[in-house]
Amino acid sequence: MQAGKLRGDADVRSLTLDFLLNLLPHVVNGLSLGLLFALIALGFMLIVGVMEVINLAHGSLFALGAYVALSLMGTSTSAGSYVMALVLAPVAVAAFGLLLELCMRRTYGRDPLYGLLLTFGAALVIEELIRAVWGARERTLAIPEAISGAVLVGDLIYAKYRFFACAVAAALILALWLFIEKTRVGAVIKAGAHDSEMVRALGYNLSRLRMGVFALGTALAAIAGIIMAPIWGIRPHVGVDAVVPAFLIIVLGGVGSFWGAVIAGILVGLVVGLTGAYASEWSLMSMYILFILVVTFRARGLFGRKSALDT
Amino acid sequence: MKRRSLLKAIAAGSATTFMGPWATNHVWAQSAQKKPLVVGLTMDASGQYGASGGEERLGAMMAIKEFNEKGGVLGRTIEALHMDTETTPATGSRVAERMITRNECAFLVGALHSGVANAISQVAQKYGCIFLNTNSSSPTEAGKDCHRTKFVWDGNGTNFAHAIVKNAMKVSGKNWVLLTNDYVWGHNTSKATRALVEANGGKIMDELLIPQNTRDFSAYLIKLQQLKPQVVAAAVGGDDIKALRRQVVQLKLNKNFAFINNQQDWPDVYGLGPEEIFGVFGTNWYYRLDLPGVKEFVDKYQKAYPGVQIKVPGNVYYNGYMATRELLRAVERAGSTNNIKVIKELENLKVPARERMQHFDAYMNPTTHQIQQTIYMATYNDQPAEKDDIFKILASTQPQEAEDKDAPAACKLESYEATPTYEV
Repeated sequence: MQAGKLRGDADVRSLTLDFLLNLLPHVVNGLSLGLLFALIALGFMLIVGVMEVINLAHGSLFALGAYVALSLMGTSTSAGSYVMALVLAPVAVAAFGLLLELCMRRTYGRDPLYGLLLTFGAALVIEELIRAVWGARERTLAIPEAISGAVLVGDLIYAKYRFFACAVAAALILALWLFIEKTRVGAVIKAGAHDSEMVRALGYNLSRLRMGVFALGTALAAIAGIIMAPIWGIRPHVGVDAVVPAFLIIVLGGVGSFWGAVIAGILVGLVVGLTGAYASEWSLMSMYILFILVVTFRARGLFGRKSALDT
Repeated sequence: MKRRSLLKAIAAGSATTFMGPWATNHVWAQSAQKKPLVVGLTMDASGQYGASGGEERLGAMMAIKEFNEKGGVLGRTIEALHMDTETTPATGSRVAERMITRNECAFLVGALHSGVANAISQVAQKYGCIFLNTNSSSPTEAGKDCHRTKFVWDGNGTNFAHAIVKNAMKVSGKNWVLLTNDYVWGHNTSKATRALVEANGGKIMDELLIPQNTRDFSAYLIKLQQLKPQVVAAAVGGDDIKALRRQVVQLKLNKNFAFINNQQDWPDVYGLGPEEIFGVFGTNWYYRLDLPGVKEFVDKYQKAYPGVQIKVPGNVYYNGYMATRELLRAVERAGSTNNIKVIKELENLKVPARERMQHFDAYMNPTTHQIQQTIYMATYNDQPAEKDDIFKILASTQPQEAEDKDAPAACKLESYEATPTYEV
């Protein structure tokens, strides 16, 4: 009887170990997916958090970044051309973002709907522009030879490119945080978001500040577009695939909260990754269920600032 | 002039110029000139099947152009009216309702997504308007969701499964995993595949449901790596299959398992790299079939649409063309646009292989309203004769062998009497 119990315990331990070993690759996958989601939301979060503008053109700028990179790279698979595209395309898209910011100036201080409508219109214009310039068919951005192929560790099979993408996402998150928290410009940006009149009174050029933030936000959208292009593919409406999770993530994390957006991105990645493995039909829906659950119990999101209505 | 006034004037001028070409008034004196026949093109221009929707539209437009060049049909010129059905069933219903009630469309043509096709066909049946499902392939379209006014022109999931499954089991093994797009076509196609695999002694290890518009397949691919099947059978379409193919190649999983895609639409692989067109798949037409008429058909496409990105026609274009052509021929034979007369013509349709540019004669099954046609099994062509020659046809299956035997029992067509008369 003792031997039977021991055998039973060993079976349970073995089953648990099997389950954990089976689960582990999906947890790793979920975490990396989360970093990619956070990357997608980064530019969106910056513009919403600092300028209080919901930039619905974020997805289209994401797509534009991928297309500009495609034009710069062509069919080349060299690391040099990829790095060049990763640097130059966001600069080009940021220049486009500056133009968009110029158009948006009349909406500042007015009903947020004006900004929403303007950026929605801009999204449609950019998408049509992409169709006119690059055509409607599916395109592929080549992965540099050095980071193509797969890595197999136990049951975790993963593309080398995804590791690279996650590393870029983590580096950008860290760099942006350092920029906002540890630099003088970052401090002014934060102050501008908090009390624009005071910032003006202190002699800072708020218009230039907003331009800079918007350009940075659009450049981040473009970088996310380039990083995601080899995974998702490129088509004129690919931005829709980006803007919806980006919007969800910043609300889930709490509007204006940097780490809220990052943690929400990782949570969404984990939920999508794990449901994809164990309840696949729910994988896309899972992020919305998570969102509803969080917002039901905590309307301001996970790390959102408390509003007067909460007291 | 003040700046504001100038801007207003420019805006007003632009608006006038812009509105000009769009404001058209059609006044038809029946005695002097016959009213044009309006064909409503219910085709996706956006969403999962946006790219394919554009191709089937070109196919339908080509058939209409050919008829107009010889004077239209029944002395009436043919006009095409297109509205985007957005790969969304609710939009499909709205578009169909509008085309019938407001735009007086005589017929509706086009569908890729089976949910959209089903939605359109319900509206069409309500009014008695003939609807051609050009490219949506759920077996239910000619099964439980069939209608007297609906005719299906593509091969369906069951037809393609018949053409592929047995052979794949012989060559690759009996342990299968199904990747299923989580909507009506995916479900019913995988159901047909499952039935055939199990009937032939195979085993379905798992079925992974993939929500529409999935862009990241990493969780599914890790799962495949864990399950280690011999064959992966995908019923995934549109933009989803493009992303799936890309990510499978990035992981080199195409070298680990045999991949089958039930049906591979041309716009979904056109432009992909050679490595990404892996596995075996079904199709009902290829632009390099060595058959009479194919070359001329391709030349005509290239001459008519020189600026398009897909340089040679594929199965989606072909189905759009064939469906529209046969409809207009049926109107001619019927001598009327009366729906019942045209339906009877289509129900008795037989098209010789030569006219279909396929290997075997095709025929309409009058009990299911699906055209029975040659089904091809294909793979990537590693010795292409030209850049676009990316398919190698491995085998062709006769319509009778590929036929969906369960469809007649599932399909309950409305009677002629229960179908409203419709004539525009």
